[in-house]
Amino acid sequence: MADLVMEAKHVYKTYGKSNKKADTSTALKTQVEAVKDVSLQIRKGDIKLIFGPSGSGKSTFLRCLAMLDIPDKGEIYLGDECLTKPGVDLNKARARIGFVFQHIYLFRHLTALGNVELALRQVLKLPKEEARKRALDALTEVKVTDCVNKYPAQLSGGQAQRVGIARALARNPDIILLDEPTSALDPELTGEVIDTLRDLAKEGTTMLIVSHEMPFAREVAEEMIFYDEGTIIETGPPLQFFNAPNTDRARKFMTRIINRTTREY
Amino acid sequence: MFDFLLNPVYSTWILEGLLLTIEITLFGVMFGLALGTLLAIGDIYGKKPIKAAIAVYVEFFRGSPLFVQLFLAVYTVPAILNVQIDHYVLAFLVFGLNSAGYQKGYVKGAVETILGDQMQAGLSTGMSKLQTLRHVILPQAYRIVIPAWTNEFCSLTKSTATLAYAGLSDLISAGISIKGITYQIIPVWLVIGAIYLIWITSFSKLMDVIYEKKKIPGLELMMQS
Repeated sequence: MADLVMEAKHVYKTYGKSNKKADTSTALKTQVEAVKDVSLQIRKGDIKLIFGPSGSGKSTFLRCLAMLDIPDKGEIYLGDECLTKPGVDLNKARARIGFVFQHIYLFRHLTALGNVELALRQVLKLPKEEARKRALDALTEVKVTDCVNKYPAQLSGGQAQRVGIARALARNPDIILLDEPTSALDPELTGEVIDTLRDLAKEGTTMLIVSHEMPFAREVAEEMIFYDEGTIIETGPPLQFFNAPNTDRARKFMTRIINRTTREY
Repeated sequence: MFDFLLNPVYSTWILEGLLLTIEITLFGVMFGLALGTLLAIGDIYGKKPIKAAIAVYVEFFRGSPLFVQLFLAVYTVPAILNVQIDHYVLAFLVFGLNSAGYQKGYVKGAVETILGDQMQAGLSTGMSKLQTLRHVILPQAYRIVIPAWTNEFCSLTKSTATLAYAGLSDLISAGISIKGITYQIIPVWLVIGAIYLIWITSFSKLMDVIYEKKKIPGLELMMQS
């Protein structure tokens, strides 16, 4: 399949066993099977949305796709390159994947422009002028042109997350993975980030989004994926979930989340 | 009382002593920062034997007196290796190695407070661990380290008194020689003390200015809220 951008084949990831990786070890004492036999295909131009209870392993799965967490078992493909084989240059692979974090994680010592420029200079090795131009283009696309010279701590949450999206976008990645891009923001700031994502969707950007923004999901997602207890429970178009989910668990979750949404807005 | 200052021989001793003190401290803190950074990164990412070797290194240089380290370097190491090495070179090296033992801790502490999310962010953009350390982690860590580094500088400056035992003339040795000839004990130590005070204060003030200048805009506000 030529148009397959990313694929996960029977991916497993368990936390809490003797994991020696200093970067990923958490203080969890009990074993958590965050990802259990998860398979997923994403084609060019796809917009898929993963949702489900917090702590169910959605973020871990997304991090496995970007190889920020290394799966215990299973395979991750980026195009036709298998990333889980030993000896693969993961830095090169990650350069083709955009990643947006829930807690944004901008480089604190660099301006908005600096944040977007850094990988263009260091990874793509673009000359200064061209990197600047491309970074500014990306920042224009997410509509933060008025604060390109501000530092992360001087930005509002919504502005910061849009810079985060610009940072992921500027390299023209094959796919952008977004891990709850709006859930750490104040409710009145989620709108501007959602608008940015809507623009990206219109341009045909390939995206896999972990999100509970249901109106947005209904509008842009081709497929919604209900994820619980480390695995995919149900997959289908948004209408299936909004009208009549097939599984009991998805139905209960949808009821809860729709009630919450209508109460909040 | 202070007329020994007018004697060109004495004032030359003082100036030469001061110069050596300044040279060896600046070299020591900078060499210490560079090596301390490598040790810190080795301690964070290295395998067990590397971590163990670093721990031994740090405990030796932090746990034994600088005087003993200097003595060993100058009088035993060349004898064991059967080579002749200039005392100046050995003294510079000992000061640098000693300072690295302390600075490894400062740098490691600073790096660890930054590492979690910033390393993730760096890797996610396609940068390697090394690139992320170089362009994201260390620039932030060094900002945090500046005050500790300034303290290290103050402490190392005064440690240069041990150089006399290696036959090198720092500011303190100049004082010892001059008071031995002139018997102006109190005035000599007052002058020597004042020189230390002025040099250390000026350098610390400069570092304070750099620290303030290098602060990441907006960050201190966020930490208060």
